[in-house]
Amino acid sequence: MSEIVAQDVLRKCVGEWIAAGKSVAGPKQVKWDRVLYAHLDRPEELLLDLKERPVNSIKEFFFPKHENLYEYKIEGNDVRLTETAEAAPEQVIIGGRPCDAAALPILDHVFNWDYKDSQYNARRKATTIVTIACTAHDDACFCTSVGLAPASERGSDALLLPFGDGYEVRCVTEKGKALFAGKTIQSDKTATEYTGPEKKIDAAKVGAFARDHFEDPFWKVQTLACLGCGVCTYNCPACHCFDIVDEGNAKGGYRARNWDSCQYAGFTLHASGHNPRGSQPDRQRQRVYHKFHIYPEKFGEALCTGCGSCTRNCPAGLGILSIATEISHG
Amino acid sequence: MDNIYKPDLMEVIETQQHTSDVKSMKLRFRDPNRAKEFSFRVGQFGIFSAFGYGESTFNICSSSNRKDYIEFCFRRVGRVTEGLWKLEEGDTMGFRGPYGNAYPTEEWKGKNLVFLGGGIAMPPIRCAIWYALENRKDFGDISIVYGARRRSDMVFTKELDEWTKRERTRVIQCVDPGGETPDWKGEVGFVPAVFENAKIPADANSIVLVVGPPIMIKVTMKLLAEMGVPAKNVYTSLENRMKCGVGKCGRCNAGPVYVCKEGPVFSIEQLNSIPLDY
Repeated sequence: MSEIVAQDVLRKCVGEWIAAGKSVAGPKQVKWDRVLYAHLDRPEELLLDLKERPVNSIKEFFFPKHENLYEYKIEGNDVRLTETAEAAPEQVIIGGRPCDAAALPILDHVFNWDYKDSQYNARRKATTIVTIACTAHDDACFCTSVGLAPASERGSDALLLPFGDGYEVRCVTEKGKALFAGKTIQSDKTATEYTGPEKKIDAAKVGAFARDHFEDPFWKVQTLACLGCGVCTYNCPACHCFDIVDEGNAKGGYRARNWDSCQYAGFTLHASGHNPRGSQPDRQRQRVYHKFHIYPEKFGEALCTGCGSCTRNCPAGLGILSIATEISHG
Repeated sequence: MDNIYKPDLMEVIETQQHTSDVKSMKLRFRDPNRAKEFSFRVGQFGIFSAFGYGESTFNICSSSNRKDYIEFCFRRVGRVTEGLWKLEEGDTMGFRGPYGNAYPTEEWKGKNLVFLGGGIAMPPIRCAIWYALENRKDFGDISIVYGARRRSDMVFTKELDEWTKRERTRVIQCVDPGGETPDWKGEVGFVPAVFENAKIPADANSIVLVVGPPIMIKVTMKLLAEMGVPAKNVYTSLENRMKCGVGKCGRCNAGPVYVCKEGPVFSIEQLNSIPLDY
């Protein structure tokens, strides 16, 4: 037995969520003909039969590109700090991929490592994530190499598997159940799970290589083409590095958190002028090393969901997959 | 829920200019309750901020025994330090911390201590020197070699003179060749060479704290190895760039370790096991 929701019913649900005041986001056609995960004003904007993965990831609905941490006001010798962050709005993300959702439990580790990031956690708590299982993959996909699959439930509150003219609904959490209560019909058939790509890389081997070949011409040979644009980190569902800067003047303003990238020279530049990761190959190595060695050492899994975004969007044809493939089969 | 990025408000209670571009400041918590509950251990760091300019990472360079204030020292090199430089006594600034690990001072009890520092690397050593002097009976002989490029680049010079007067405490000051002034009474040479020439006794029972540029640490380590000081007895404080200070912003790792959480204090033995990523 399974629970089924028809596509038109699902779209109606989206309209109801919006009408109920929830902030809803999903794949949407935006300017330059690009498909991005973005805020939906109307249910018709939601793109459901996507062939390609949106360019960005859903992490920005938990960890925004630019975020106000608190405001300051300088009055004479005194400073007043006020927390301006509104209570996180109730949010639904619909149509994310399993490789997007799987990054959230990974990010949870970082944002709760001893010190708990209250703004991130508040958004996590207020958000229901509905993913749609993949029914195809492209050359850049490698979820099956990092322990996931096209129908992984990890990080999702509900997973929709394409089935006829609708979806089989698998509610993973209470939040997911609440969202679809009364919206589904029962069926005696179940959707077939797409098996996805063959295993392409050996994540453990990649991590061990990065650990044991820190100083190796390999990095230069493999990553010399890197332009240092940082798109791999911005599109990545699991990359989470950030900068903290002041926006304002000597009277008042706010302290902001902005996305940052390990691919930029200024990321690690010391005040003395010394830079531990002074060349682009050093910075590419850092990305591989962090995802497949540092993070697994600390939290027991790779900081990568195999979504392939870095590979698909790299203007120089790089990305984790080509480097990791080279290591895995080298 | 608490916002972990929101700093405590601090009153600048004293500023001291050491060189043309180095200042230190003493700070007191604006909130008396926070002042009462606050404590730290020598070697830990904080994120200090000038509102409107931003945040930056510095070692807390006062001793953890001083309960009424904390002190930090900085060189004016960029936007944030420019903002900090402008602060005057009575002004308010931000502080988050203490973060990171500390010098294992309990393990140092009964041992001879050697402190080697260069230039602006004085602050992360100073907190430990004061701590040792304030708990004088816990430690053996104390030797301090402090050098800078020029006489005019030396910081906390009055304290260097004061430490000389303490019992079983030897202080050697040096400047790089060419950096001396006509009235210079200290040594001329680089810190490791001056340390070697001074024949300061150091052996397996010594603890050495060396903070300075990587080359200074490297040369010093060679000397210490010859003297029989094991790498696990030699400590330094790393200063990789940080933003959050709490293991999230992703930039301060030196190889597999996050300097903000697993450092900033490392023994040379630990550093030998991680790649040169600092």
